[in-house]
Amino acid sequence: MTAYFIRRIFQMILVVLISAVASYALLNLAPGGPLAGLRQIQQNNRFQITEEDIARIRAYFELDLYLPYRFTRWLIGVPRGPITIGGKEYLSDMVVGCARPLETEILNDQGKYETKVTGCGEFVKLKELAGRRTSHGILFGDFGLSWRLLRDRPVSELLLSRLSKTIQLIGLSTLLSLFIGIPLGVFSAVKQYSKFDYIFTSLAFMGSAMPTFFFGILMILLFSIIPKGAGWPYVPAGLSESVRGYTVPLIGAVVAGSVKDRILHIILPVAVLTLVNISFYSRFVRASMLEVMRQDYVRTARAKGLSETIVIMKHAFRNALIPFITVVVFTLPGLFSGAIITESIFAWPGMGRLYLLALNDFDYPVAMSIFFILAILTVIATLLRDILYTVADPRIRLS
Amino acid sequence: MTTAQAPTLIAEPVTIEERTPFQIVMTRFRRHCLTMISLVIMLGILLITILAPVIAPFEIQELSVNDYFVPFGTVDQATGRVHYFGTDNIGRDYFSRLIYAGRISLTVAILSTIISELVGIVVGAISGFFGGWIDSVLMRFVEFMLTIPQLPLLLIISSMLLRNDNLIPIPDPVLKFMGNILLLSPRDSRNAVLIVLVLAGFGWLNAAQLMRGTVLSLKEQTFVEASRSLGASNFRIIMRDMIPNAMAPIIVDASLNLAGYVVGEAALAFLGFGIQDPVPTWGNMLSASQQFMLDKPWLPLVPGLPIFVCSLAFNYIGDGLRDALDPRLKL
Repeated sequence: MTAYFIRRIFQMILVVLISAVASYALLNLAPGGPLAGLRQIQQNNRFQITEEDIARIRAYFELDLYLPYRFTRWLIGVPRGPITIGGKEYLSDMVVGCARPLETEILNDQGKYETKVTGCGEFVKLKELAGRRTSHGILFGDFGLSWRLLRDRPVSELLLSRLSKTIQLIGLSTLLSLFIGIPLGVFSAVKQYSKFDYIFTSLAFMGSAMPTFFFGILMILLFSIIPKGAGWPYVPAGLSESVRGYTVPLIGAVVAGSVKDRILHIILPVAVLTLVNISFYSRFVRASMLEVMRQDYVRTARAKGLSETIVIMKHAFRNALIPFITVVVFTLPGLFSGAIITESIFAWPGMGRLYLLALNDFDYPVAMSIFFILAILTVIATLLRDILYTVADPRIRLS
Repeated sequence: MTTAQAPTLIAEPVTIEERTPFQIVMTRFRRHCLTMISLVIMLGILLITILAPVIAPFEIQELSVNDYFVPFGTVDQATGRVHYFGTDNIGRDYFSRLIYAGRISLTVAILSTIISELVGIVVGAISGFFGGWIDSVLMRFVEFMLTIPQLPLLLIISSMLLRNDNLIPIPDPVLKFMGNILLLSPRDSRNAVLIVLVLAGFGWLNAAQLMRGTVLSLKEQTFVEASRSLGASNFRIIMRDMIPNAMAPIIVDASLNLAGYVVGEAALAFLGFGIQDPVPTWGNMLSASQQFMLDKPWLPLVPGLPIFVCSLAFNYIGDGLRDALDPRLKL
């Protein structure tokens, strides 16, 4: 058991590290990045941007450091200056980056001129890093500063401001879909081949084939835009609370930012996520319930003369829920990362939308922080799933 | 053939109506009414998109100046052509764009499926057949890929690829070929190729696991032993014994993948990380229609319904195939 956990934790660290390296490399190796807009301004000639400006901005984004150093500074916060041992500085002249790359126009094989970095005019030495501000490393919980979305503010502040909205949305919809989806699945399995089962399975099948983004738009049309146009009671769509007050027929005047306003705004996104989740959960529960109902111990329970309710609730249902652990545990990363597509349709100011905004706006520290935390949570969820499996089902042993 | 004379048979040979496995599968398949309907619908949609240049009255980039958001069925005054579904915000014909978009969306889905299943088959077969360290390296990699959150990573990758056209060099013949299928210029089809690569890059994992599982169980079968004792090479055993016998789950996986890719491509385009605007796809048409739906509530339905219909149809086909190919079910 101990050996198993040690091995698992080792694997977890490896997975997290590899995904950190991969996401960092993907975002940072690609050309362009935060300097792309700057170069266009420079070509515009309206603002004169000097060499010094560019060097300063490059230093701000740490683009003047070589990638491995940038990565370790992001991950664990080193190197942050010369290594001092016993009052003596070591390696202070080691080259860690290039402050002013030399660019030359080169004729490429397609007959066009390309700007390529051919050398370095001015190197960055390790001792120059001493005065720079730096994060303490994402591994130690310091996510650094945001580049664009909330410039120079800590990423953690940005994440915390969004986290509660995402937890509201995902938490509420997960709870609702568990409370509705599980009974539906069980009932449908118990009444297999009945009319209810037939209608229910076809609806759930359609629900699972329905793309979330189209479903969300349909809901906005059906419950917000069309009723509003017709003067019926409607549900506001978009954002988590409105900017100014409005009146809804039957419900009356709604003050912006009030509890009533927030409840009205959360209805549609929660409904979309809940319905999508229900179709998934209930199909899962139904399949696993049908599997369990064929087992010998269920037949034994019936043969003992137990009532059908007890057979289903105590013998079948409990065992049918074991594979369902897999599904439920993986809402943990979902609670953090949100539903990217649903949040973007309803302009819900949660984590998923923040991630999209960060990617669109080149705010890499934010995007990478979200991805990093998500990777950690997913890995933890995987471990949790395996542990819960053994707790729920003693027949399964960890080895 | 031996030369020994067999005793002549007196009795009439008993004739049992022999049916090939294909026929058996087809009979089971036909029983699924919804599957058959889905198949017909999909063939219809495919036919329309193949005939896109014949059917579409307008070009995809053709602007009807001053005819913005004209209603369904408006006739173009100058040429007498009909805007069946009206026009969009800059006067491009909605119906024509829709069928060209279908051509692009479906081609992307089909190509992604072909690539991901091929990669999955090869990786799974190698992994299952050879076992040992090859197997553990490949399968650890697959498990690792399945652990990392997919949509966020997909978004990172496609945003990087789309912003930097030249990051991955794609040979010109491939672009020309794609351009010919999609009726786009090679330059415009680069995006589509990238999306195919991104989608297929994540899609082969499941197929590889399925293939490995089947190959592991097939390895113990006597006909494989027979092949080997006849002196067949590993390559021949994999190609002739393993792959044909493992096709059933792969075919089901492929049809479900088709549904997934149609939705996946549309989702990426919808979020702005897929094929970009002048080139129409159902996803980016839907996302563009979102900003006008306050005034024109029917607009999102036009590109949205085909996505839903294709996803549903491919799912039904996959479901029907699963039942049809399941050898445990008897007729």
